[in-house]
Amino acid sequence: MKKMTGLLISILLLLTACGKQAPAPGVTDTEILIGNIQDLSGPMKELGAVLPAGSNLYFRHVNEQGGVHGRQIKMIVEDHQYNPQKAVTSAKKLIEKDQVFCLYHVIGTSPCEALRPLLAETGTPLIAPATQSGTMSDMSRPASDLIFHTDTGYDKQTRILVDHILSEDANAKIGVIYQDDDYGENVLKGAAEVEQATGTSIQKEAYQRGATDFAGQVGNLIKGGVNHVIIAGVVKEPIIVMKTAAAMGFSPQFYGTSPTMDHRVALAAGPAGEGFIAANFANLWNSDAPGAVEYRELCAKYEVPEAYMGMYHFYGFITAKVLVEGLERAGKNPTRKRLVNGLETLNKWDSGAFPPITYSSSDHAGTESVVLVQVKEGVQTVISDWVD
Amino acid sequence: MKDRYEDENLHWIPVLITLVILLPFVIQGLTYSYKYYLFVLNIAGIYIILTVGLDLLSGYTGLISLGHAAFLAIGAYSSAILVDQFGIPFFLSMIISPLIAGLFGLVFGFPALRITGMYLGLTTMGFGFIVKRLIIALREWTHGAGGLDVSYPVIFGYTIRTDWDNYYLIYFFAVLAIVAGRRIGKSKIGRAFMAIRDSEQAAEASSVNLAKYKMLAFFISGLFAGFAGVLFAHTNHFISTDHFDMLLSIYFIIMVLVGGVSSIYGAVLGTLFIVLLDNLFVPLLEDWIHVFFNTETGDIQSLIFGLVMFLFIIFQPMGLYGMWLKMRIYWKLFPFNPRKRFT
Repeated sequence: MKKMTGLLISILLLLTACGKQAPAPGVTDTEILIGNIQDLSGPMKELGAVLPAGSNLYFRHVNEQGGVHGRQIKMIVEDHQYNPQKAVTSAKKLIEKDQVFCLYHVIGTSPCEALRPLLAETGTPLIAPATQSGTMSDMSRPASDLIFHTDTGYDKQTRILVDHILSEDANAKIGVIYQDDDYGENVLKGAAEVEQATGTSIQKEAYQRGATDFAGQVGNLIKGGVNHVIIAGVVKEPIIVMKTAAAMGFSPQFYGTSPTMDHRVALAAGPAGEGFIAANFANLWNSDAPGAVEYRELCAKYEVPEAYMGMYHFYGFITAKVLVEGLERAGKNPTRKRLVNGLETLNKWDSGAFPPITYSSSDHAGTESVVLVQVKEGVQTVISDWVD
Repeated sequence: MKDRYEDENLHWIPVLITLVILLPFVIQGLTYSYKYYLFVLNIAGIYIILTVGLDLLSGYTGLISLGHAAFLAIGAYSSAILVDQFGIPFFLSMIISPLIAGLFGLVFGFPALRITGMYLGLTTMGFGFIVKRLIIALREWTHGAGGLDVSYPVIFGYTIRTDWDNYYLIYFFAVLAIVAGRRIGKSKIGRAFMAIRDSEQAAEASSVNLAKYKMLAFFISGLFAGFAGVLFAHTNHFISTDHFDMLLSIYFIIMVLVGGVSSIYGAVLGTLFIVLLDNLFVPLLEDWIHVFFNTETGDIQSLIFGLVMFLFIIFQPMGLYGMWLKMRIYWKLFPFNPRKRFT
């Protein structure tokens, strides 16, 4: 036993003597290591491969131009299966074992929320969490000084949509159909804010995640005499809701939050989905925005398969632009603190796809506005500039 | 007269405790990323407390539960709410929250009086969903599906923050849970549990009160799981309904089965085996899996777990602990082993 303890102590001493850690983890003279946690095998696995592929497209472009201050960007992707516990384990591995410089584009609200204590403990920044939940930029929460949100939150999206409806029709009766999870929670928060500000009352109908029958909710909205309906769903919900409404002879103007901004909605809803207006936190990948043009050029240059190209691949691409800009501004000898300070100097910075991004030490929300996209003759068409 | 515990070799307990105390130092000596390994061990420690309780319910009493993540959730949410919203000290919450989970166990023990086997499995699974809906509905306290921030555990004025401190907190109670579980298993209660498992009629004929002991099994199991939940909430600092997935309940059952039922030690071995397999060994095979199966590791992880359980049930129904027992007898008898028996 004594021998063992002696051996142990000597090993410890030896390690502390010759152990010399780099000033900033994950940064060498030639490389910056970034950690990304996606859902590669859980309920959102279709996005799991596409999002990092989009980010890597931009990193490849940057690396071929010589990298950031001469350093190549390398990204490690872990899988959390949309489980917050696994997300923390993966983040722990990335931070302690792989020694990444920062975390980037981690997907999901509850996985990102679960990371907060770990981020605060290790001082690791999380850039562009891949969720539109407004809670990410709530500056009263732990580690909020380390999280930089790029997407306009669901609460703000709801507020913007209601404001938009009221500006067109002051006597509008508005209803919301929301998913009763963290996503819906954030939508309700926005609805409560706007109710208080404008004095309107909004009829709220909940559905369970995974529901396929919305006849009850639509029936309640008809009873309530609603003529504008906001659907806070993902892809299949707006399709089913609009088809159910059409079948029940109910034809209000339909709106949707950013997850419903998917071309499949227009495709599958058919005539029932005509006129559907969705809010989106960034420009469309096939639009004329400079970021989208650059994206399509790089896709052509690096021969990205057509199956990958689309809004999610583009989403990975544009958040990578924000990260690279932050790394540029962190200077020649980047530390985590300098990355945070660098990003906080962004002032109405135009990424070419997101609305102008502004960070400060007291506000990490980044953006406040959305574009409105309407389905016209089955095609998604941008009908507004940035609305806030 | 021979004492109840005399047939058990207890000399290993101090050795085990010393090992548990020294392990973090060894890991720290071996690698820089020791915090990650400690973190994985901490998860295992919390699950050990739960699976010991699950073993008492499913292993000893033979009542299957596919809803144990819900008990974990009840313990976690109760403690988070009691400590952070009602200002109750952490150590008091360590007593109250498990009791709350235990009471839920009693309530859900009622159906177990009438139904068994697969139907009980389905009922407990339903229990998991009910608890999830309940947590979302009580949003005033639980913040609904948005999740809840939880404070650090404070014991006698000392705030536990690091993985290192968490490790000692968790394993102190894990060792206690193992000893308690083992003692319950050897006591009158444990014998009654086993009698119920082996034959309800025979147990009843031997004046074992079926209703009382079945409810007691659920209550005790709830206590253990609730206690694990308290540690889970305060060492994770954030809990949400997504943490307590139904799949987790199934993993708990796999842990107990792979380790070997109705021995408590089996539950411990099984939990360590599955958690380490999940976090340390499967990632090692990641590249290999990519090449040969052209899929993500997570996709075939459930397959691997299922396969492991399947193989154990067919070839080693006594689990890891059974393998150890066989090995021990083999060496005890060596070289006079009766042929064929140990091959």
